[in-house]
Amino acid sequence: MSQEIVDAVSQYLTPNVPIKLISQGAEAVVFTTPVHPYCPSNEITKDSKPVQYIIKYRSPKKYRHPVIDKQLTKHRTLSESRLLGKLYLIEGLHVPKLIATDAYNGYIWQEFLGEDLPNDCGFSNLKNYLWMNAKDPYNDVVKDTLFKVGEQIGLLHINDYCHGDLTSSNIVLVRDTNGTNWIPYLIDFGLGSQSNMVEDKGVDLYVLERAIISTHSSFSDKYNDWLIEGFSSVYKKQGKGGVQKLNEVLKRFADVRMRGRKRSMIG
Amino acid sequence: MQLPQFPGVNIEILLFQDVSNANDIRSKIAELPYAFIDARTICSVEQLMSAIYRVMIESKYNRLRTKSLHSEVLLALSPTSNIGEAFKKFGISDDTKNLIMIEINQDNDNSSLDKTVVNGEIVDFNDDNLQKNSDVNAIRKIYKIDQSVEFENISELSRATVNAIQLRGI
Amino acid sequence: MVNLNTVEPRNGRDYYIALGLEGSANKLGVGVIKHPRLASMSGGDNSHNCEVEILSNIRDTYVTPPGEGFLPRDTARHHRNWVIRIIKQALEKAQIMDPRLDIDVICFTRGPGMGAPLHSVAIAARTCSLMWEVPLVGVNHCVGHIEMGREITKAKNPVVLYVSGGNTQVIAYSENRYRIFGETLDVAIGNCLDRFARTLKIPNAPSPGYNIEQLAKNCKNKDKLIELPYTVKGMDLSMSGILAYIDSLAKDLFRGNKKNKLIFDRETGEPKITVEDLCYSLQENLFAMLVEITERAMAHVNASQVLIVGGVGSNTRLQEMMGQMCKDRANGRVHATDERFCIDNGVMIAQAGLLQYRMGDYVKDLSETVVTQKFRTDEVYVSWRE
Repeated sequence: MSQEIVDAVSQYLTPNVPIKLISQGAEAVVFTTPVHPYCPSNEITKDSKPVQYIIKYRSPKKYRHPVIDKQLTKHRTLSESRLLGKLYLIEGLHVPKLIATDAYNGYIWQEFLGEDLPNDCGFSNLKNYLWMNAKDPYNDVVKDTLFKVGEQIGLLHINDYCHGDLTSSNIVLVRDTNGTNWIPYLIDFGLGSQSNMVEDKGVDLYVLERAIISTHSSFSDKYNDWLIEGFSSVYKKQGKGGVQKLNEVLKRFADVRMRGRKRSMIG
Repeated sequence: MQLPQFPGVNIEILLFQDVSNANDIRSKIAELPYAFIDARTICSVEQLMSAIYRVMIESKYNRLRTKSLHSEVLLALSPTSNIGEAFKKFGISDDTKNLIMIEINQDNDNSSLDKTVVNGEIVDFNDDNLQKNSDVNAIRKIYKIDQSVEFENISELSRATVNAIQLRGI
Repeated sequence: MVNLNTVEPRNGRDYYIALGLEGSANKLGVGVIKHPRLASMSGGDNSHNCEVEILSNIRDTYVTPPGEGFLPRDTARHHRNWVIRIIKQALEKAQIMDPRLDIDVICFTRGPGMGAPLHSVAIAARTCSLMWEVPLVGVNHCVGHIEMGREITKAKNPVVLYVSGGNTQVIAYSENRYRIFGETLDVAIGNCLDRFARTLKIPNAPSPGYNIEQLAKNCKNKDKLIELPYTVKGMDLSMSGILAYIDSLAKDLFRGNKKNKLIFDRETGEPKITVEDLCYSLQENLFAMLVEITERAMAHVNASQVLIVGGVGSNTRLQEMMGQMCKDRANGRVHATDERFCIDNGVMIAQAGLLQYRMGDYVKDLSETVVTQKFRTDEVYVSWRE
């Protein structure tokens, strides 16, 4: 990762906003910071740790023509922010809070979600969480969590939105108030879109299924069943019309799987 | 008050209750170097600050659409890009009883905020006082939040306004 | 463990000789290569470093007049007319005295490609095999490109961008398969450039893509870009819409359709853009998309190396853009080959075929040599890698 990008971000944010790099994807670089961009009073502490915020930065890509680069950065930063804004209004759907957007420069500020799992199991995304439970893979809490993950995807799809990159690391788990169960949040909507096409929904489900199979292969059958149970429950609540829509999506999901075109999506 | 990314800019915010001279302020609003906002339209500190943050970002990259930072605050609060409409909705009217007075000072001078312009009682600018004076239905209407969307508490409404403010017109 | 000495060289030699025949599109290529027998197999995965020696690499391209593409029937006829002469030339250049004794294996392209040309070359391969009593190996064209690229550049485990007339794929190796991470949802990049070249009526020699590249280099207006759709869909991309749009611009330009204000100045009616501008914008747009999906795949599998193969891979602008992308990634490095190996050739078929042969995987019955127009890269079991 080139220092150049980190320097550019630090300069944009000024020394008043200290940052820590947490990941470099193909498109965006993600940092955390303890500083809120405009609400100092919100800096309350939880577990005696300072509240963190996420800064997602789409750095200029030197390989592409500046005209294309500007347009893409703006378009994608905006569409991700816009999705977060719209999805927030859907009852029951959990997405991170949007704090600020600077589309011209490619910055999005969001709330930080999740925590570090016990025993060095890593950050509390679904992938690490399932690893953590590998010794007791079918316990009730796991089942409840996966069902709820399915529900989240169902809510997303039934409202005609698609995630576009639904892997188990793009699902973050947050402890509920009792501290026993987990609430799943969908993150990273960089490839997300508003779409009523069953194809997009089928591919979403397929990508997640592959992710579960590739990282948790011994338990994947049951895990995927639980996910689909949760997913279906959302549609079934909508009565006959819902069931019909559900069947269309599940049929296309099976088609996509058969086609295996995306067979290799997960490395 | 300062924003971390804009250390050279001082922001003064005062919340007034039981204002008696709204009419008077309105008549000379063009000459006053402040922004005045009807407190009914603001439900949280977060909502107003997020608009001010947006103004500073727009200003830094020379994309202001109104004459001053102060008028830009009203536009930034609005979910639409219609400047006249923004002034009408967020600006004060003759019947305004509670208002917010803002000064954004880029020159790092001492504040020249003249509190005597407003005849009213100054109270702390905090979420409790804002919530007390806010009109939830008016805010929902301004931000065009569908009646089917239910909010459990004011902070959820506030979040929706922040989304609208950050996403306006871009 | 992979043992590349599973099959010993014939006639007690300490090296292998392979003849490769390629004819999946408008190029007919014949190559002869030599691999030394490895002394020990302890080095692990060695398939990217076979110490290949290229004894000959002959190619003949079926070139059509400007504005025309190559049709399967005519291309097949070209291949049939030339294949014997080219094989003879290749053997002579490689100093193969007696093919019965000196050749270990004959490799031919089984697919993907155009049916009729593939078929013509496969017949030649079968005939040689029966005549000389030399075993046959059917090779996947894409795997041929990948293996040749790895051998030439010594890139051990790169993400591969395969860009040619008929294919556009981002590939990475995992568990004995070259897996496709992203690809075109409609036309291939080379096809897209070829068809645009036809609209422009520019020569098809040496290749339409090369001529577009030269025109793009001469663009005087590089700050301004003609806005084209940017259609990356996750790790896939779509190009047919871009082609249709830029085609319509070119046609309006030629026809002098003054109503198109994008091309003609509102007041003077003079054209604002040139053919060079169109070529430049098209390349910039398409290549940005290619580099982006490659970077996505790299981030996904945590790779730092890229290998560009296929005919379009010889475009220097694409190589430059890929290099720039890699520079901004940790340890990033781009590998590319020149037109001898980028453009379809017989040597690459020989390279992939010989690897397969050395693992003991060759044709046992002629019924296995039926060519196939559709042959996905991930259908091949890659036994020669770990």
